[in-house]
Amino acid sequence: MIAVDGLRKSLRTGAATVDILKGIDFTVGRGEFVAIMGASGSGKSTLLGLLAGLDNPTAGSVTLNGVAISRLAEDKLAQLRGRTIGFVFQSYQLIPTLTALENVLLPYELNGSPDSTGDAETVGLARARQLLDSVGLTTRLDHYPVQLSGGEQQRVALARAFILRPPIVLADEPTGNLDSANGAHILELLLHLNRVEGTTLVLVTHDPVLAGYAGRRITLRDGLVVGDEAQLPLAAAHLPAGA
Amino acid sequence: MPALSFRTAARIATRELRSSRGKFAFVILSVAIGVAALTGVRGFSSAFRATLLLRARSIMAADIAARTTTPPTPGQQAALDRLTAQGNRLSPVTELLSMASSTTSLDPLLVSLKAVEPADYPFYGSVVLQPKMPLAAALSGTSVAVGDDLLLRLHLRLGDSIKLGAQQFTISSVVIDEPDRLSGSFAAGPRVLLSQAALDATGLLAPGSRATRRYLFKLPPPRPGQPLSDAAVAQLKSQLEAILPEAQISDYREANPALTKALDGATGLLSLMSLVALVLGAVGVAMAMRAHLQQRLDSIAIMKSLGAGSAQVMKIYLLQTLLLGLGGGLLGVLLGLGVQVSFPFFLARLLHLTPSFRVDSHAVALGLGAGLLTTLLFTLPPLLDIRNVRPILILRRAVEASEDPFAQRLWRKLQNSIAQLVASFLILAGLALLATRVSDSREVGGVFAAGLVIVLIVLLLASALTLWLLRQFLRRTRLHLPSTLRHGLANLYRPGNPSAALLAALGLGVMQIAAVYIVQRSIVDEMQVAVSENLPNLFLIDMTTDEVGGITALLVHQPSVHGKPEIVPVVSSRLLAINGTPASQLNLRRNGRAFQGLNLTWPPDLDTPPPGDTVIAGRWWTAAEAGDSATHPLVAIERNRASRLDIHPGDQVTFAAQDDRFTATVAALYEADSRHAFSRAEFIFPQAVLAGLPVVWYGGVHCDPAATAQLRRVLYEHDPTVTVIDVAATLETIRQVLLQITYVIQFLAAFSIFAGIVILASAIAGTKYRRIREVVVLKTLGATRPRIATIFSIEFAVLGLIAGAVGLVFANLLARFLLLHTLHFDYTFQPLLNLACWLTVGLLTVLAGWLASNRVLGQKPLEVLREE
Repeated sequence: MIAVDGLRKSLRTGAATVDILKGIDFTVGRGEFVAIMGASGSGKSTLLGLLAGLDNPTAGSVTLNGVAISRLAEDKLAQLRGRTIGFVFQSYQLIPTLTALENVLLPYELNGSPDSTGDAETVGLARARQLLDSVGLTTRLDHYPVQLSGGEQQRVALARAFILRPPIVLADEPTGNLDSANGAHILELLLHLNRVEGTTLVLVTHDPVLAGYAGRRITLRDGLVVGDEAQLPLAAAHLPAGA
Repeated sequence: MPALSFRTAARIATRELRSSRGKFAFVILSVAIGVAALTGVRGFSSAFRATLLLRARSIMAADIAARTTTPPTPGQQAALDRLTAQGNRLSPVTELLSMASSTTSLDPLLVSLKAVEPADYPFYGSVVLQPKMPLAAALSGTSVAVGDDLLLRLHLRLGDSIKLGAQQFTISSVVIDEPDRLSGSFAAGPRVLLSQAALDATGLLAPGSRATRRYLFKLPPPRPGQPLSDAAVAQLKSQLEAILPEAQISDYREANPALTKALDGATGLLSLMSLVALVLGAVGVAMAMRAHLQQRLDSIAIMKSLGAGSAQVMKIYLLQTLLLGLGGGLLGVLLGLGVQVSFPFFLARLLHLTPSFRVDSHAVALGLGAGLLTTLLFTLPPLLDIRNVRPILILRRAVEASEDPFAQRLWRKLQNSIAQLVASFLILAGLALLATRVSDSREVGGVFAAGLVIVLIVLLLASALTLWLLRQFLRRTRLHLPSTLRHGLANLYRPGNPSAALLAALGLGVMQIAAVYIVQRSIVDEMQVAVSENLPNLFLIDMTTDEVGGITALLVHQPSVHGKPEIVPVVSSRLLAINGTPASQLNLRRNGRAFQGLNLTWPPDLDTPPPGDTVIAGRWWTAAEAGDSATHPLVAIERNRASRLDIHPGDQVTFAAQDDRFTATVAALYEADSRHAFSRAEFIFPQAVLAGLPVVWYGGVHCDPAATAQLRRVLYEHDPTVTVIDVAATLETIRQVLLQITYVIQFLAAFSIFAGIVILASAIAGTKYRRIREVVVLKTLGATRPRIATIFSIEFAVLGLIAGAVGLVFANLLARFLLLHTLHFDYTFQPLLNLACWLTVGLLTVLAGWLASNRVLGQKPLEVLREE
């Protein structure tokens, strides 16, 4: 599903060049749940961004579903990304001028219907409502992000990431700005996506407990993969009380 | 509390400015625009005035000039001769309108004749001719010099002949420049320069003809090395005022009083228009500073948590404001020099004088000072809000005001309100001070300042209301709108968007330029209105008593003439006294020249008012009273003239015509309907009162518009000395002059709209980072760049269309008021013009928005996310 080959990323800051990723190789199979771990500054968020095609690597390539994305034109990349990847940001990144319902609906409007049956507008709206309902925000459809708590915003972001049923969900510290109860709820939703819907899930975190729910752990240090091991994932029953 | 050192404050201020260079570049530009307009106007005016003074003698072509519309009486001529015997040199100049014809063109042409004494004229400066030759040679015998537009219009070349009155002349040269063109009469047609002797030969100058005479005087030269004394000039001037009491007398030191008065008025008006642009620039600075302070809340909270007081923090941002104002001011002064240089280009055809370029330090100081002052004043309110920033913001963004005790909340609110009220008062006072300074009138300055603030507030409320209505519409129709449109409209309410204030600023610029354009179009369009069947479209002037019978008979038999020609006799006169009080001692407001150059006439019928006149006070004379009027003169006076002179029925008014004097009793006051030739007359007597006085006849006739050229030819062949003015052609000349003047006004009004656009760009640049984040999220979700561009374009376009709509509504209201109540023209709503303006504003805001959104679309998503 995801193939990374010789991936490098360097940045120029003033006169100096900083090597963030120094040669990354790995693959992720369909339906896998991979946690990418590492200390702050290890390059994990940069790696996740490159997997989503949010930037161009300095060297190497990323292939999604057999398509090499590293050299795709920007608009083609955006379209591929819209249909293939759902992205969950650490700081939610909702559009402040759109309501919760409109934020969830946005990918649908941008990329069209994933299936050709039914009236697109009606189907999209129904799906958006259903998703928000499933994340417990039935009564908050017409609220703006500024009127929602952090946990509620992240749930909206999750619903938005999944409205088109993307085969891949990338999540960058999705619980980083949340309290433990909200964090557990989000994790539960992600696990449901992976274990029940079969979505490939790549999650960046510095939290080893969160990483414990993944079936595979990739560890980065100083821009290199220093560990890549399969593990027995924790059951959902291990989620903290109140989730 | 120890004070924050100036050096530290300056260091923080300049570093913050450097880090936000792009954003503040627009702010500096918005200040620069207003300063450029003001400096340019004042600089041009000062340069023009300096050139007038420097070339005063050349512009007048003399030391002293006496201007009159009546020929001198024998007594006056004798007195003038005595002056020349004392060593003063005299050169008469006669200017009048006439008809010229040639064998190469069927139609006679209305021309502006100027007759001079080539041996003397001009006393200063020189007439530039092509080919180069002495003026005396060019105007010798039956030679004339003409303007090049005459050659074009009559299809003539040098050496060809033209006919003026009863005389043929040869064109010897082309007039390139006359030194006293500015001091002369308004040239309603191409110039023809000829000698006084040649003018006499044409027979055009009959007694009572409508000619302007200027007597140019050159004083005897002073002792070598000595300048001409002011006392000598003043003495000759007072002698002339005694000899020619009805003349307008001016010396070279006044240059052209009418011109300098017009220059002062125009400078004041244009300076006030520039002030609008300056105020808009200051509003832009205030908006940008408010947005900037919002972004600096953390820094301010940190400083306060480290012990800084509000005053110390305000010092930093006050310094920033000063630097912005100074930067904008300096740039504006430089741009203003460009504005100053461009004015002669707009006014070339009107001015006939290109002022030499000079930098006027007063204009520069005024522009710079005004820029700084307005910037500081308008930034006061957001700066005062620094006092409300609390250190706890570092830890918690949403600090609830309700956490404080009620009393503390109330006291804080009161303090804020008082401070903002004081700031508002200072803004108003500062504006009034500036407006007074640039208009040289306390009254005008105060009214302008108050009016501008009221207009801004009204525009702000109108914009806020429109935005609120749009939001209600959006709420109700949200999901039924196409998503791109919905997203674009929703962006109007993006946090940090100062939409209402922005719309008000842009709306003010639109209002100013649209109002000027609507007024100009209305005035110019009315001049092109087809003449109705009842209104004359051809006027005949300077008909003698011998000619009038034949011309009337000729007109009556013309098939293209409709209705009876209106022929009006006119006797030139002046008013000497009212009820025994000499005119000079009468205490009337703005009497000016109210007593001079009066036109007296008599009605066609013995005992009834002329057609179109209605008696409103007193009564018209009977036939018997008319018959007896030689011994008991009576007069009827037009209502407005009577009001200006404070005359009532029964009053005794003394007139002088040539050397005759007579006193008439006011029998009636009347009102004219402005549709007849007699409507021009303001003093009507029974014929017997004016018997024996020199009379010139004027007439008006309505002719088929398509046949006016043919009728002009017929009249010219019959009587070449009669001047025929085609109303349509004359209106076209005046229309061209008006257009030139309004180009300048529009040019300055454009500064306001430009300032509004820059403020828009500045506000958009201020939200650039939010936009970039939004673009990143949209790209992550699969939006292509064209889609994102469409969303933003909709946002910009709607901003512009709302501002345009608000501005145009008020522009039409303002134009309507000016046209109906001040200028007395008709107002008609012009849908196409308004639509074009509206769409243009929308387009301009889209362009400005994208200019300010440079690189927003091109950012790589991860570059932005990494910075979070």
